[in-house]
Order: sequence, then C-alpha cells, then structure tokens
Amino acid sequence: MSAQSLKKTTATWIIVIMTLFITAIIFGILMRLNQGNDYKMSSPGFYATMTTHGLTMIAIWSVAGMVAINYLLTRYIKVPNSLSVFALVFTVIGAAMLWYATFVGQFHAGWTFLYPLPLVKIAWAKWATPLFFFSLVVLGVGWLVWSVGLLVQILKKYSLKQAFAWQHLSKKEPEVKTPPLILISTVSLIGIILSLIVAVILLALTFAEYYSGGAFVNDSLLMKNLIYFFGHTIANESLYLGLAALYELMPEVSSRPKFKTTWYVALAWNCTMVFILTAFFHHLYMDFVQPLGLQMVGQLASYFASLPAAGVTAFSVFVLVFRNHIKWSLTNVLFFIGIMGWLIGGVGALIDATISNNVALHNTLWVPAHFHTYNAMGNVLFCLAFFYWVANEFSGSQTKTKAQQLKTALLLIGGFGFVLMFYLAGADSVPRRFSNYPAEFKSAPLMATLGAVFATIYLIAILLIFIEILRKCVKAFSAS
Amino acid sequence: MCKGLFSLLILFLFYTNVQAQSEYNFSEEENINAKIADVQLNTSDGGMMLSNLYNTSPILVALVFSRCTGICSPFLLQLSDNIRTLNSKEKFKVLVVSFDPIDSLSDLEDMDNRLGLNKKGQWTFATTKQIDALNSSVGFRPIWDSLRKQFDHDALLVGINENGYIAKKLTGLRGISDLKMMIQSIHNEFIPSYPLPRKNNLLSCFTYDPATGKRKPSIGLLILVLPVVLTFGLILWLAIRSKKWRRATNNHLAD
Repeated sequence: MSAQSLKKTTATWIIVIMTLFITAIIFGILMRLNQGNDYKMSSPGFYATMTTHGLTMIAIWSVAGMVAINYLLTRYIKVPNSLSVFALVFTVIGAAMLWYATFVGQFHAGWTFLYPLPLVKIAWAKWATPLFFFSLVVLGVGWLVWSVGLLVQILKKYSLKQAFAWQHLSKKEPEVKTPPLILISTVSLIGIILSLIVAVILLALTFAEYYSGGAFVNDSLLMKNLIYFFGHTIANESLYLGLAALYELMPEVSSRPKFKTTWYVALAWNCTMVFILTAFFHHLYMDFVQPLGLQMVGQLASYFASLPAAGVTAFSVFVLVFRNHIKWSLTNVLFFIGIMGWLIGGVGALIDATISNNVALHNTLWVPAHFHTYNAMGNVLFCLAFFYWVANEFSGSQTKTKAQQLKTALLLIGGFGFVLMFYLAGADSVPRRFSNYPAEFKSAPLMATLGAVFATIYLIAILLIFIEILRKCVKAFSAS
Repeated sequence: MCKGLFSLLILFLFYTNVQAQSEYNFSEEENINAKIADVQLNTSDGGMMLSNLYNTSPILVALVFSRCTGICSPFLLQLSDNIRTLNSKEKFKVLVVSFDPIDSLSDLEDMDNRLGLNKKGQWTFATTKQIDALNSSVGFRPIWDSLRKQFDHDALLVGINENGYIAKKLTGLRGISDLKMMIQSIHNEFIPSYPLPRKNNLLSCFTYDPATGKRKPSIGLLILVLPVVLTFGLILWLAIRSKKWRRATNNHLAD
C-alpha cells in the first residue's frame, strides 16, 4: 500500500468524522435547549434527533479508533488500504440511510431501538423501520470486514499467543516482544468482531419477526440481552482503540521512551478482553426475569473489566508525566485530559453498575452523564489527539500553535461543565429520554439550559481544533 | 405383544393427562384494567353504589351464593385466614356479593355469622339486582345446574383499585403470596410480569410451567452464547491458518 493513499484515506475519514461530529453536537445542543424550554421541538422531532445523535456518535467514534489503529499499525504490519476504503464507503452509505430513516421517515426509537417498539404500533413512516435496520446492516458489514481484515494482518506477523502477549506473562524479556498497540488492537478487534456477530444475530431475529407477519415473535429478554451485548461491548471496545493510539503516541510526542508491554500490562488487557463480554448484564438489573446469578456477574464483570486496564494505563501515564520534563503539545494534552475524562466517566459508570446504586440511578440523567464523560471527554479526545498528530504528519510540522491554551481551556470548561449538568440532574433523579420535563422536576430545565451553554463552549473548542486539522489534512491530498 | 400395546396405551393416557394438567387457563387475564360495573348494591348499611366503596379504599370482591354446597365457604374461610395471617398494613375492604338472584341480604348475613368473617368490620355483604352487569364486567360466568340446584362456578376474587379498575383476578383457592400480590396491585404497586411462552415464540430464554411454577433455561439462552462460540471458532480458524501465512512470509523473505 502506498503511504500516500493511506494518508488520503485517513484524511478523508477525519473530515467525514469531524463533519458528522460537529453536526451531531449541534443536535445534542438543540435537544438540551428543548429540555430547557429555550427552543421548541415536536416530540417525534426530539426523539428522531436523539436517535440520530446517539447512533451517529457511536458509529463515528467506533470508526475513529479504527482509523487511528489502521494508520498506526502500518508501523508494525502491512495494512491494505482497500479495507479502510471499503469501510469508509459503507459507513457513508449506512449513515445516509440512517439519517434518511430518522429525519425523513421520522424513525425515533432510540439508538438501542427499544425492542419491540419498532415492530409494534409504529408512529413513523412504515418504510423507515426496515430502512433503519438495513442501515445498521450496511454499517455492520463495513466494520466487520475491516475488523476481520486488520486481525488477519496482525496474525500474519504475530501468532495468536504473541498478539495476546502471553509470552510476557512468563518471561521478563521474551524473544518476541509484543508492542502495546498490537496487544490492545488485537483485544479490541476481537471484542468488536464479537459485538458485530451479536449484531448479525440480533438483526436476523429482528428481520425474521418483521417479515414473518406474526408467525414468529422474539423473546423480549433475549432481544434486550442481545442489544446490550452488542451496544455495550462495541462502545467500550471503541474506547480501547483510542487507548491503543495513546499507548503508541503519547510517549513519542512527549519525547519519552515508548511504553513497553510488561506482564501486568499483558495480564490487564487479557482480563479486560474476557470480562468486558459479560459486563453488559448491568444493563438488565431491572429485568427481574433475568437470573440473579447473571445480575451478579454483571456487577462483578463491570469492576473486573475496567479496573485492570484503567489501573495500568493511569499508572503508565502518571509515571510518564510525573517529575519528567514533558514537551506539551495539543496531542499529549488531549491524551492527558482524555485519561482524566475516561477515569471520571469510568467511576461514574461503576457507581451506576453497582446494583444498590442502580436502584436509584437507573434511567436517570446519571446514565448519559457517565457515558458522555468517557466519550466526549475520553475517547473523543484520544481520537482527536491522533487526528491532530496525523494532520501534523501530513503538513510536516508538529509546531505548537498560539491558540492551544484557549482551545484546551474551552474544552475543559465546556466539556466538564456539560457533563456536570448531567451528573447533578441524575443525582436529583431527573429521568433520561424525556423531551420535556414535568413540572415536578423543578431543576431539570435550568440544568438542561446550562448544559446547552457548556456544550456550545465545547463545540467552539472542537470547531477551532477542526479548522486547524482540516487545514493540515487538505495537504494530504495535494502532496505528491 | 399385548403387554407392549398395554404399556403404550398406559403411556398415552398418562401423557394426555399430563398435557391436560399443564394447560393454562387464561381467565385471570380477562378484563384486567377494565372498569368494574358501577352497580347499585344492597348492604346492611343501606343502598349504595359500588363506586362509593372503591372511592374510599381499594376493594377485594368475592362472588358467592348462600346456598352453595361447594367452594364458596372454603373460599371465604381461606380468604379470611389469609388476610388475618398476612396482617397487611395497607387499607382495603372485602366486598362479598351474591350472584344468586334469589339470595337476600339476610341470607348473606347468616352466612357471615356462620363463618365468622366480619369481626373487624372490614367485610361488607351485598346483593344486587344488576348482577349480570357485574358478572359481565369482571368476566365471571356461573352456570345453573338444575339437577343439583347449584351454580357451577369458579371461586373468583377480583381486586379493584381506588379508581374502579380491575387490577388483578385470582381464581380458585390461592395462597398468601397471591393475596399479597393482589393487595399490592389494588394499591397500584408495580408487580413484575413476563409474557408466557407462546407457540410462535421459538427462542424464549426460559420455559415456565404455570402448573408447577418451575422455570427452566431454554434455547434463547443458548443464542446468547452463540456469538462467543462463533467468534472463538473464527479466531481459532484464523490462528491455525495464520501459521501457514507466517511460514509463507518467512520462506518469501528467505528466498
């Protein structure tokens, strides 16, 4: 693969992702303004926007991590550009189908589509239901082919044991050393492949019911398990791809020695791979027919999946920056803030994943609080750090810009202020997924308005960063 | 040969008997969340509308008749025992209505005295001229048997909330746990429920036998494991294939 075609494809991905991201942020701000009674949306309009916002964000930040590792893996293995191009085409087509289903067809069942809602008492255009599900098929096919393709390329150079870094568990200095990027990419790609296979089964069952004319009905408990097996797993694995980019780039841009795979890094990421697969059970605490044993597995796996990876990563980053002279640029600043966001959001998630707390916090704004923290202030920043770094690679300069402090300040104030409003509302039992709040929730509209204001500050920071990245990405197309 | 045929016959009879026993009657779901008919009642406190009763507190409605030689007395006695044992702090009343048009209020009061039900004043006994409307609104269908001079009927207890809606129905002699759930229902407390497996529901996570109350894991749970098995198989296959790919790469480099 030529380096030039890789650069062009990566630059195209970045422009597509950032454009969709900015649009989806605007959707989010409009929804918060509507909840704050500052802007009027119809209820179907609100929920169609919520569906588009949720699925677009999940989709673009899943592939953003893939774009990052696709580029960085070329340091260790051969990566055919065709895989990335294939996924790009399918992602654009899938996103267009999704937006058409939601904005034209008014499909508004949420990104987890709340089975059996889309199949009964349809409150939108009839064709929008199959179009929504077919958009998921198109997105899923593109990503599945890409993920399997990348995994094949890794296994062409590293054996499965080496890709999992098992040799590091028994030997301090093994003959073949597995770079952290290979280890985390392998673990995450397997998780993504698994979640996409879950999606295949989920969609097959959905289509079977939809086209059977009532002859076949799915089991609600099975469908909810499958939806969260897919949704929770892919959301987490995407975040790990962002961390893979951090392990590869943060020491490099900080002019420090590269992170190495040690026994505890290998062990932590292998544990994460296993435990993340059962953590999704914490989404079903309120489903009393789910056996109690699975609920307990959900709580324990939530802790075991997150703590090892978070522990070793936070420790590694702390050692990297503590009492060391670091050459700070926007890239490692974004990585550093991203770690903070990931850890804060992770603690919020664990609080919610603890059964005794979930009784109070379930389906309150605490839920969007924690996932916006580790996405908007975690995974997004990891990927933005990569975008910023790679854009500098395209332009041939890694210079520090004047507005860097302004961008950082806007990101911190806007991002953490925005999620703080969610946390406060969640702690005050304000429910999620309400287009307008009943009068009983007195504080909710004010917090929604403030949330929109902070989100606008965050948007300004993202726009400033995007303009700079865009200017540099364009050079990837013009360079020979 | 004959022994074998006889065994088969016994097996068939046993199987059909088991099948018949496990058939579930859905009458308890009928008219749930529908409003009970607001009929005129004749009680010891005088005439009143049914709504006068449920407007003050939720009620349990028991349908019996005084000449009953079958289920009525055991039904009321067990209900009384269960209420006493449960000792619920929730406020509710029990309304016993005769569905026999020839019953008088004194017949019902005699029944109460005989059974000793209304010691705490929680029970109200009533007759009504609009019994057909009441029966129809709760889905109760007694059939007169002229030979036995008795009604062929279920022991039906109907739970009515403060708005007059049927929150729950219990048929037959039921235990304390069912009564507790009924009292929760009439106070609008959430009672978990899960659809029973249907013929067109092939992949349910559990099978539930209402006759025994036992729940068993079903094929739906296997579907959850399927993606893990498929991914594991794919990774294993790739791992095996990749040995060849790496060997080919090494040979290529050696050449």
